[in-house]
Amino acid sequence: MRIFQSWRYPANWTIFRLDDRLLLILVAIIVGSCSGLASVILNRSLMIMFNWFHHLRHYWWVFVLPAIGAALSSLFLEKIVKEGAGHGVPEVIYSVSRYGGLLRFRSSFSRLISSALTIGSGGSAGPEAPVVISGAAIGSNIAKYFSLNDRQRVTLVGCGAAGAISSIFNAPIAGMVFAIEVIIGEWKSVHIVPIAIASVMGTEISRILQGNQIPFSHRLFNISHMDILACVGLAVLTAAASILLTRLLRSMDKIAKKLPAPLWIRAAIGGCAVGLIGLFLPEVLGKGYHVVQTTIEGAFSQGLVIVGLATIAKIVATALTLGWGGSGGIFAPCLVIGSLAGLTYHHGLALLWPSVTWVNQGCFALLGMAGLISGMLQAPLTGIFLIVEITGGYEVILPLIIVSAITTSVCHYIEPAAYYMKELVDYGHLLRPGTDARVLSDLNVSELIEKDCIAVTQNMLLRDFIDIVKKSHRNYFPVEHEETGHFMGIIHLDDIRQYLFNPVMYDTVFLGQIMNTRVEVVYPDDDLADVIRKMDANRLFSMPVVVNNRFIGLISKGHLLDQYRKELMVQTSQSI
Amino acid sequence: MKMTIHEVAQCLNLHVSTVERWIRQGRIPIQKTGNGYLFSESALKKWAAMYRLPFLIPEKVKSRGYEERLENLLSAMKRGGVMYDIKGDDVETALKSAVENMPVLSKTSKKELYQLLLERERLTSTGIGKGVAIPHPRDPLPDALKSPVISTCFLEKSIDFGAVDDKPVFVMFIFLSQSIKIHLHLLSRFSFCVRDNSFVEFLKTSPDEASFFAKIADFEKQLDRAET
Repeated sequence: MRIFQSWRYPANWTIFRLDDRLLLILVAIIVGSCSGLASVILNRSLMIMFNWFHHLRHYWWVFVLPAIGAALSSLFLEKIVKEGAGHGVPEVIYSVSRYGGLLRFRSSFSRLISSALTIGSGGSAGPEAPVVISGAAIGSNIAKYFSLNDRQRVTLVGCGAAGAISSIFNAPIAGMVFAIEVIIGEWKSVHIVPIAIASVMGTEISRILQGNQIPFSHRLFNISHMDILACVGLAVLTAAASILLTRLLRSMDKIAKKLPAPLWIRAAIGGCAVGLIGLFLPEVLGKGYHVVQTTIEGAFSQGLVIVGLATIAKIVATALTLGWGGSGGIFAPCLVIGSLAGLTYHHGLALLWPSVTWVNQGCFALLGMAGLISGMLQAPLTGIFLIVEITGGYEVILPLIIVSAITTSVCHYIEPAAYYMKELVDYGHLLRPGTDARVLSDLNVSELIEKDCIAVTQNMLLRDFIDIVKKSHRNYFPVEHEETGHFMGIIHLDDIRQYLFNPVMYDTVFLGQIMNTRVEVVYPDDDLADVIRKMDANRLFSMPVVVNNRFIGLISKGHLLDQYRKELMVQTSQSI
Repeated sequence: MKMTIHEVAQCLNLHVSTVERWIRQGRIPIQKTGNGYLFSESALKKWAAMYRLPFLIPEKVKSRGYEERLENLLSAMKRGGVMYDIKGDDVETALKSAVENMPVLSKTSKKELYQLLLERERLTSTGIGKGVAIPHPRDPLPDALKSPVISTCFLEKSIDFGAVDDKPVFVMFIFLSQSIKIHLHLLSRFSFCVRDNSFVEFLKTSPDEASFFAKIADFEKQLDRAET
């Protein structure tokens, strides 16, 4: 019985008293393995579904398949597990910044199933974002099981995401960089070490189960100086493509929301449209890794017009799938669009300057992928490392960096918020560590209340009030109703300072006459950022806090600054 | 010493809910177990120093406040004693004989005190009107005294003190205190007494010690009642 008890409460094990970092590394091994396993499962099920549906491709009615898949996945998410549509990465980022990485247990499998339905049936989306949220949810729930605190839980959520990305791409560094750059947003060794371990574990699991293969292998490229120069143009093209994709995704989302139909019908309409495109250009269907493979090998033999068309078609198909309610990520479509865009650029160059010998078209496809990933995520490091690892092409690192850097800057200039962050920024939910918004969101009104105010009643004479002024440490005096105790108004010492030394008024003035009744009040569950906005708008220094019509304390800017500074010091120190 | 989470919050001058949130978020080296909190005080102190947060044990703060406990008039007056028929024709001689008769001080400090009182008189007169003067040194005497002293000196004959209302002074109250705060506290209570004209009339009769102290005790009661 005792052993059973101790298994139920692992927080009481002595190992957890040993060392914080060691503990995190140990748990990171578990989290990395689990999330690696989750991504292998998704990958396998996608392969099985692909094989099921592959022989149906030549029937004319095949275009309804993506519609059925999208509708089923939307129904599953909405009715069975009751989770929002979409790929889930913004939810992970929001949870990390606001709730210390708390995620529901069901998130660890719900997106896997829904995205398998969407992508397996031919929808244009990627399996990466779903495994990211699954991995993150696994990390969060393991942290919960071990009763870890928020900081440790956030690290484990990052571990889960890192393990998932590492496993699905067989790319440990990309997984690590993605988790830190996109999910956590804070480069500290306490995060980096466990996340690195989780990446290793995730990669190892995938290598054991699926073999150590580089997803998109290619021939060696000989890159000349001219090619590096040409990268600048490619960067502009990929930036344009990623902005087009971002805008299209959002506008599709808006159009879909206007349609008065249940979510699953919307998803079905989007899926149907994708299926129709797929009839003419089968490249757009599914996650499309075979397209990436052929372009990188230089075996994509179509001409400029067809490739350009395919690029745009893939962008439209992705927007249709994800914008209309299908479930899946943006990574894989980005890779496909990027490789097609790179190919288009290569064909364009060959047409304009036929005399120059450009490097193989596969190289441009590869650079295009890096550009699109960097542009969509606005995470240049993730783009660089991911492409280097999934193609095994270290010799392209120089043009890769150039393309990633330029695309990120151009996209940032036109679309200040990355695709993952856009929703969060719109609602003011992007709270990166160490920022003003984060500090304010962590503090709450009830922590800042100062309770040493002396309440007075409205029928009190000024003479009696002066005795209270003598004893008080504050300049504010709340006025309460004698019987009900309700808050009626407030007296500020500045308002009555000139009458204080006039004895004639002592017995003639009641406090009810001089109190200020039109005061802005604060409620304890108000958002602190709103409270400060109110203070600034009305030029107030203090505001009364009221619960159930009763005054419970004062919130003042002076005390706020004190607490704010302490909070900032604790949140942003280098050592922890 | 065992500390509670509330005491930790007090030491850091934070709200308890802030400390609880920091524990939840893992920002402070306190661990939550099923039914309580686990931490060591030295680790907490180290942590606070690392983040440059002030960490003060409230006992220390409290004991400093205890030193400055405010005394009332009566005990200070009893300590200073009441002296009658102090001789002197002007401010200097009257002060000199008053200081010499004071019961509490040693000879050398009496000399110093006399100089300090004269210095203060040179700034402006301490005659506060109605024939009452309150000679005192300008700066408090934190080294010489442990508790405040008020010596009541009835003069043999009224002398010109250069008081605000130019009335000759017939009684001096020598105020000695170890801090400005105590001085102001005693002065404010004393001025409440002198505001009462009947008290001044009573003083003019050079009352004996017992009835004088009884009168002061009476005033103190009134003051305490007004304060509460």
